[in-house]
Amino acid sequence: MNMKPMFPERGPAFWLTGLAATVSAGTIGLLFVSLVVESVPVFKAEGVSFLWGTDWFAGESYGALPMIYGSLMVTGLALVMVLPFALGSAILTSEFLSGRARLIVKAAMELLAGVPGILYGLMGIALLAVWVRDLFGLIDGNTLFTAGVLLAVMILPTVMTLAEDALRAVPGETRDTALSLGLTRIETVMQVVVPQALPGLAGAVFLGLGRAMGETIAVMLVIGGIDRIPQPWFDLFAPGQNIPSKIGREAAEALGFDVQWSALIALGLVLFLMVMTLTTAGNFLIGKAR
Amino acid sequence: MPLTVPVKTVVLISLILLAGAVAMIFRPGEGTQVFADETTVIRVAGSTTVLPIVSRAAERFQSRHPSVKITVNTGGSGVGIHGAGTRRFDIGLASREISPKEKHRYASSDLRTTVIGRDAVACVVSSEVFHAGVQALSKQQIRDIYLGKITHWQQVGGPDRPIIVIDKEVHRGTRHVFMQYLFGKSNARAPGARLVTGSNNEEQAKIAQSNSAIGMLSVAWINDEVVGIGIRDGERVIHPTLDNVRNGRFPIVRNLNLITVGEPQGAVKQFIDYLLSEEGQQQVADSGYIPVQSPHAVSRVAGSHSK
Repeated sequence: MNMKPMFPERGPAFWLTGLAATVSAGTIGLLFVSLVVESVPVFKAEGVSFLWGTDWFAGESYGALPMIYGSLMVTGLALVMVLPFALGSAILTSEFLSGRARLIVKAAMELLAGVPGILYGLMGIALLAVWVRDLFGLIDGNTLFTAGVLLAVMILPTVMTLAEDALRAVPGETRDTALSLGLTRIETVMQVVVPQALPGLAGAVFLGLGRAMGETIAVMLVIGGIDRIPQPWFDLFAPGQNIPSKIGREAAEALGFDVQWSALIALGLVLFLMVMTLTTAGNFLIGKAR
Repeated sequence: MPLTVPVKTVVLISLILLAGAVAMIFRPGEGTQVFADETTVIRVAGSTTVLPIVSRAAERFQSRHPSVKITVNTGGSGVGIHGAGTRRFDIGLASREISPKEKHRYASSDLRTTVIGRDAVACVVSSEVFHAGVQALSKQQIRDIYLGKITHWQQVGGPDRPIIVIDKEVHRGTRHVFMQYLFGKSNARAPGARLVTGSNNEEQAKIAQSNSAIGMLSVAWINDEVVGIGIRDGERVIHPTLDNVRNGRFPIVRNLNLITVGEPQGAVKQFIDYLLSEEGQQQVADSGYIPVQSPHAVSRVAGSHSK
């Protein structure tokens, strides 16, 4: 029989898939361009001080620093808290569990990673905020700290399962060699496997942080919603605001109008750049690990 | 060739999907949407204060007019006015008046207001604060609390706890009316605030959860855990009761408005007429608000910009 090439010429299939690919790639480009274009008015009105102004009052002034600060703080906090748990459970699953048990844990984690943010938000407002208040003797539990803890819980499955993949990617011979050289299981893991998987582990963390930084609704419900940098600035038990929550609260009212709209878009642009940096770094590191 | 068939199928499916997407993008979007020939959709959104009345009434109205479908969404008064102005909604809900700025912005839309009820905004506190003795505050005291000059309940005869001051998103109708009363300026700042909430539900929940919060809330949303306190004026204390709202003694009163572009027409008019009918007004009362027989019955409301 005569084998025909799959695409004898640039037929409809080629054009359709080409169109799909162009749309996919074009969407992100278009998003970025429109973010830049629509944020121009606020930079005209406020100058670059939009980025370090600390006062935001719709119709009067637009300073993004409290939101940028809030985003960095809650994400940083989530990072600190998620690291030991995610890495610990990834090491356990990858190095010490039998194949069957490992599959079960992985399946559960991947399922958890898909739980919608609003569910975490409800748990956050109903339980976590109250626990934080009572545990630390605060007057109120809606704080940056609460948001950070909630985010850590949310990204734990993502980070854990990606980190586990990175550990599994280290070839078995490496372990065998290390063990045959007389290293204990623990020594093998800590001194041989983990260092080899390091780029992949870092990538997992970055991807998780990307998700944390963009999370809206769960944070919105527990962060306090006030556009203010706490005094002193490291007081995490004070209420604050992050970028997605700010946009979520004001967008519908500002839709398409005035400097306020442009200011929200500019906030979006800042967020976009921060998340892109994290995600690109994460993907790069994971790619390098393979 | 085995591969040619799936490719064809894929192409066909893709084409169908694409056609569907194109149809979605170019579907008729202006004004009241007519889907089948018979179903009319009325899109309603805005103030969470007006919402309970409208969703209640919408249910009844739809059961009586099966050809009309009413979608009701939240967002706040700012969103309601904005959505009506941009014609994203057929009816915008607003628990405040249209501001001069908004009037200017939507000058071309010819926004019309229909008043369907009246409501009062009360200063509310957590029940623990109320039971510890704070049952009324003067206007000046509330003002100082929102300015951050009074930060402890003991300063106003309450329990030994700091005050958690709850503010609302700047565009919320309740906030406009409350700030207009306190500071004579509907968008006054509240530097004393610790938390910012959005909808009535959210504010109610956060005050109920706390044992030392103060906030602003429509009287219809007051309950056992979120208690409305009186406003003290010299010796006189006026509590936010429906009686005091009805007879005009309670000072923070407002209209509950439906915003439309131009005079309401067709199904939208039918629905608004229903809300103004005896039955509709009963639902206003059932929702905890004060009915109006005609828009002109309302004399004095907070935040009114008409001269």
